[in-house]
Amino acid sequence: MEDAPGAGPAELGRLIEDDPADLYENAPCGYLSMLPGGRIIKVNRTFAQWSRRSAEELLGASFPELLTVGGRVFHETHFTPLLRMQGAVREVALDLALPDGTTLPCLVNAVELRDDAGAPVLVRATLFEATSRRRYERALLAAQRTAAESETRSRALHQAVSELAAAVSVHDVAVVLVEGARAAVAADGGGLWLFPAEEAPGRRPGRTPPRLLAQAGISAPLRAELERLGARATRLVRPGGVRVVPLGPDLERQEPGLAAVMAAERVDALVLVPVTAEGRPRGLLVLVRSADGEGGGELISLTEPGTGGDLAVADADLLRTLGRQAGQALERVWLYEETARQAARSAFLLDAARLMSAAAGVAETVERLALLAVPRLADLCLIDLMTEHGWTRPAARHADPALQHLADRLRDVHLPPSGGAHPSVQAADGGRTVWVREVTDAWMARIAQDDRHLAVLHELRLTGLVAVPLMAEGRLLGVLTLGSSRQRGPFTAADVEVAEQLALQVSQVVDKAQRLELETRTSHALQANLLPPAPPPVPGLAVAVRYMAASQGADVGGDFYDVVPLPADGTVALAVGDVVGHDITAAAVMGQLRSVHRVLLAERPSPSAIIDRFQAGWGLLGLQRMATALFGRLDPATGQLRLASAGHLSPLLITGDRVEYLDVRPSRMLGAPPAPAPAVEWAGVLPVGATLVLFTDGLVESRTADIDAGLAALRDVARAASGAGPDELCDRLLAELTGDHRADDVALLAVARV
Amino acid sequence: MSVVLRNRVRISGVPTGRPILFAHGFGCDQTMWRLVAPAFEADHRVVLFDHVGAGGSDLSAYDPARYGSLQGYADDLVQICRELDLSDVVLVGHSVSAMIGVLAVRAAPELFGALVMVGPNPRYVDDGDYTGGFTRADIAGLLDSLDANHLGWSAAMAPVIMGPGQPELTEELTNSFCRTDPDIARQFARVTFLSDNRADLPAVSVPTLVLQCSDDAIAPDAVGRFVHEQVPGSTFVQLAATGHCPHLSAPEETVEAIRAWLREPAGRVRA
Repeated sequence: MEDAPGAGPAELGRLIEDDPADLYENAPCGYLSMLPGGRIIKVNRTFAQWSRRSAEELLGASFPELLTVGGRVFHETHFTPLLRMQGAVREVALDLALPDGTTLPCLVNAVELRDDAGAPVLVRATLFEATSRRRYERALLAAQRTAAESETRSRALHQAVSELAAAVSVHDVAVVLVEGARAAVAADGGGLWLFPAEEAPGRRPGRTPPRLLAQAGISAPLRAELERLGARATRLVRPGGVRVVPLGPDLERQEPGLAAVMAAERVDALVLVPVTAEGRPRGLLVLVRSADGEGGGELISLTEPGTGGDLAVADADLLRTLGRQAGQALERVWLYEETARQAARSAFLLDAARLMSAAAGVAETVERLALLAVPRLADLCLIDLMTEHGWTRPAARHADPALQHLADRLRDVHLPPSGGAHPSVQAADGGRTVWVREVTDAWMARIAQDDRHLAVLHELRLTGLVAVPLMAEGRLLGVLTLGSSRQRGPFTAADVEVAEQLALQVSQVVDKAQRLELETRTSHALQANLLPPAPPPVPGLAVAVRYMAASQGADVGGDFYDVVPLPADGTVALAVGDVVGHDITAAAVMGQLRSVHRVLLAERPSPSAIIDRFQAGWGLLGLQRMATALFGRLDPATGQLRLASAGHLSPLLITGDRVEYLDVRPSRMLGAPPAPAPAVEWAGVLPVGATLVLFTDGLVESRTADIDAGLAALRDVARAASGAGPDELCDRLLAELTGDHRADDVALLAVARV
Repeated sequence: MSVVLRNRVRISGVPTGRPILFAHGFGCDQTMWRLVAPAFEADHRVVLFDHVGAGGSDLSAYDPARYGSLQGYADDLVQICRELDLSDVVLVGHSVSAMIGVLAVRAAPELFGALVMVGPNPRYVDDGDYTGGFTRADIAGLLDSLDANHLGWSAAMAPVIMGPGQPELTEELTNSFCRTDPDIARQFARVTFLSDNRADLPAVSVPTLVLQCSDDAIAPDAVGRFVHEQVPGSTFVQLAATGHCPHLSAPEETVEAIRAWLREPAGRVRA
């Protein structure tokens, strides 16, 4: 043993032989004896010094009352039971509460002395000061906690990021962000508000309120208050980072409404997290921290009410990162959705084009188009057309069958009057697209014609409207009006562009169809007027005539027939002809031919002479089309018959069972370049009871069979119907040879001698 | 898993006797009833158990969500009674288990015949006119004390983890029955000291005895009186025993108080 410095052997000896009392009083640990209830009956000087109290003060005092409150609880719930059960406790950490308010961390060992019956008599305890050790332990624990929390955070972040990567819709992103952020910082509620996309030019910025995409755990009153805050929330977040907005005097002054609702809902603080993409704010995540409990639990918060929960730096970092990640995810999803929408728009326009190329009339086209437009492009589609009778609304469709009756009302009752603020009228008057981005109550009141119209508008619950004029070569044809409902969201600029492209397609189809219909109507009216009236009764003859227009589209024929009794000699002139072409010109030429034919009949020329005169005067008539024709002259009394053909099909003669085509040699067509020989005339007799059938090629020609097959079929049908009168014969021929679908006009003339 | 194993249920006494179920409070485990439970074995069917997370319970059954409120513990208690097919149970709950008992009785009133609340406190944190005995800072300090101890104890556990046969084996028993997983202890402390069950008291529908210790730092007299006033028809008995654990510090008095009340005509008369 080395000598202790500054102490001689005698001194050392004295110290070693120290009396037990001194050893007890000045030991390097606190000594404490107490009754089982905790009343102190003996302490050493070391403990008195550590506890900053005199021995007199300590004697009779309660040991637990010297401890901090936490220590006192621990003493009651752990220290005492352990002592009672085990008879001893070791290394229990308890803190002494010092008179000056500070604490002295200690480790306590204690034993319980018992009497013979096992009842506790005395507790002896030693206390060791453990300030440094406790500081070390605390640091260790804090490091452990930080590591654990950091791991929890990075797990939460990792999970949220991988879920964001898997999100395929804006709604997905919103839900992942709200749930991820709530869980990460144990917030009671959260909601994501999206700022409106790029403001359209010419509009006041910040007018459109942020849109709530997803929320959980935010009460309705608070949600309403946050929405009312609206665009001002945008300003709150523009400065950048994550912000905690505690309920306090500042907020009460700046946003008294919000502060009142927060107080009523026991919300302690809002945490505002900007959602940014490429440095631009795209949305705002609002987290709600309530005064009672963390993470929506039922437990009392350790935070004093009204002090607001501060956010740990690591939590703020986590939220900032989440906000940025969500912004990127939103950007990606938007791009994806825009691409998908673009593809859908292209497919829609293609389908529309296909549909319109197949449609027949104007009415059918617009009705089918309206059916296509909802719900793919809009929820409501109205098509107004300008006709000779004024405005009509041939199509009105709603995507929701339950609301179709409203569209029907718009079509049947509430056609907008000319003039006024209605978007359809404005589009028509201005010749430009009218885009109503936001349908408000005030707007509806302005355009409504009456209360019932206003009621219909309200029931439709529209959020946006686009009216596009239908124009062709500067002429206004009508208006295409599209409406969107809440679920669809507002129309975008791209939607409007599709509507305009659609309107262009519709305009072309409607224009073409309208022209064609007009022409068809005109031609048919013209043709009806150009054909002769029903032939007069001729004694000795039974005559039947038929004229059937082609069944498809606007085709107009140049076919004609004529039956003219000539009073001078009692004969009857017959004619059947076919002007080349199926249009209004053909009809006009036919009319002229028939008139000239009647004029020529004044001199009673023979059939071949009629052809010759037509050929000779063709140039003078100035007709633009050639024609085939068969002319005849019949004497009802004798049956004498003469025929001449200008390129026309030979007539059919039915005599009892005998059915034959007469061999009338055709000369050149009327209007064809001159040929050297004059027309040749066929002469014969039509016996009593026989029937002569004159016809145009529409009866025997079809798109599927050649003319010889048609002629053979005509003969067969005629033979089968040989006993029939002219009227019945005509009906049977038309029914069996042409059916309902005639590609060409048919003129048919049957004459029987009776 | 059977709740008998999950909660380390121990049954003793007379199988045909009236069931008496002892529920330990925050801190240790069923061993706490060691000096009281045997006194009922002669004429009761005595049931002891550990709350999940405490003592010999199955720690793997600890679900932070289920045990995030006292209701989770109350549901366990009901499960135990159902699995053992108990009825007319005398439920004796100490400290936080007095409130767990209130919730259990409320959830399944048909199972219970009497409730004994030992040192109850329905809300520890002061709230306006109500005095629970603690400020938020106090509770924060308590959580701190828990941390300080559990860290030390975890270190002491190291030899145990290394395996049996070590010289430190005797040390293993030190502080053992109050030892549990630090995270579970911390959450149980939060749930215990941060719950507010005042509103549940008027709904207690069985005869109830409130046992109030003297000088109880955790459940002050005023709180015991409050509980007595809120539970309809309850009996209030002031014990001479001091501290928060009369079943340890004065087992005879505790036993006698319970027995005397049970002997009364159902102890139904308001004190």
